[in-house]
Amino acid sequence: MIEFLSPVWPAATAARPAAKRPRSLEGIRVALVDDNLDIPFTTRLESLLAERHGATVRRLVKPSGTAPSPAVLIDEAARDGDVAVVGIGL
Amino acid sequence: MKLRSERLSIDDYDAAIELFYERGWTDGLPVVLPTPGRVEALIAHAGRDAQESLGAIPPKGGEATVEKLAINAVMGGCRPEDFPVVLAAIEAMLDPVHNLNGVLQTTHMCVSLVIVNGPLARTLGMNSRDGVFGNGYRANAAIGRGVRLALWNLGGAFPWDTDKSTLSHPAEYTFCIAEEEADNPWAPLHVERGQPPGSDAVTVFACEGPHSVFCYGTPEEMLHVLSDSLCSLGNNNVHVLGQTLVVLNPLNAEEFARRGWSKDDVRRYLWENARRAVADVRACGVVHEQFRKMERDAGRYPARYDLDNPTTRVPVTARPEDIHIVVAGGRSYFAAVLPGWGGFGGFAVTREIRRKP
Repeated sequence: MIEFLSPVWPAATAARPAAKRPRSLEGIRVALVDDNLDIPFTTRLESLLAERHGATVRRLVKPSGTAPSPAVLIDEAARDGDVAVVGIGL
Repeated sequence: MKLRSERLSIDDYDAAIELFYERGWTDGLPVVLPTPGRVEALIAHAGRDAQESLGAIPPKGGEATVEKLAINAVMGGCRPEDFPVVLAAIEAMLDPVHNLNGVLQTTHMCVSLVIVNGPLARTLGMNSRDGVFGNGYRANAAIGRGVRLALWNLGGAFPWDTDKSTLSHPAEYTFCIAEEEADNPWAPLHVERGQPPGSDAVTVFACEGPHSVFCYGTPEEMLHVLSDSLCSLGNNNVHVLGQTLVVLNPLNAEEFARRGWSKDDVRRYLWENARRAVADVRACGVVHEQFRKMERDAGRYPARYDLDNPTTRVPVTARPEDIHIVVAGGRSYFAAVLPGWGGFGGFAVTREIRRKP
């Protein structure tokens, strides 16, 4: 019998329930988190959210597109937004 | 020694090896089985608490405890005496300056290179000369692979998942060299970076694979070809700065020193001359330009370079000291450049290799 050790940590078993999704964005506060790489794109998205869906958008800028948002920015998004839209990828 | 990892038992060697594949616990190659005895030997040699954590490895955040790192180091082929180098490398990679989270998930093909300095490299039998980036040397291969397996199993950035590297390169399996310090006229890398002479240290730097540079002749001739190789339009540095690495072979370094060039003289010459005109870099397209402007807006691109003037010659790094120079390889005709990720991270971090107290 060969005994050996697992190289990984056990998978977390307690999944957190997803937050309740709003049925519409009308009157909803949206935290739009972006790295400002493509400002025209984000500005267009902001307009669509506001004009077409009636959301109030708060733009938040990540200092880097290649690292997670700082905790203070995540807290700000949670405080000022009912939902958040976060841009990723580089 | 009290170990906390899950213990598995299996009565057949081949089945045990296959289990690592089935569970996604290996990089694609077979592993050395991390038996409790082998793992304990590594931890005992390092003289560290098995449950001490060096931090959480991104993106999935598995804690890099000494025990888990030892298990992965055994799997990669490490001996007990190799393990302190693995610990130092992981410690360096977890420095926020390195931005390991980004390095492991970017579309760019950078991989964190481990450069080992100090007498320990000789004791371990590390290769710093002919074929230094290649195969054939256990310590280079096993330390590099032990580090990569730890990132794989604890960080969990996998291709087709959160590792978005477009092409990547074979260094994902192992990427570890030693600097040649005996046949080297200059101070070694770790001493330049603040470690005491005679100490042992690792430096990590995320970069592309080595690009061959046909580099032989007078200092002026070598600098001419190195400058050109550093500012190729395909690399990130020429667009968004960051850091880059030059590996000179001992004969190159000897020729520079014989003619009175210090390492810093070489570095400054390269910084002044490895440049492209804005007209050239703008011809690469609007996406490149957007990145450049983003870096400038973020304050990471020096304002003194007028990016709207087509005749401005832009450097590959913001400062000369962001061009790292290492001496390694055979005494021959070739050097190498290893461009970095650009201004996004992967920056060099140096850490002492701690011996058992």
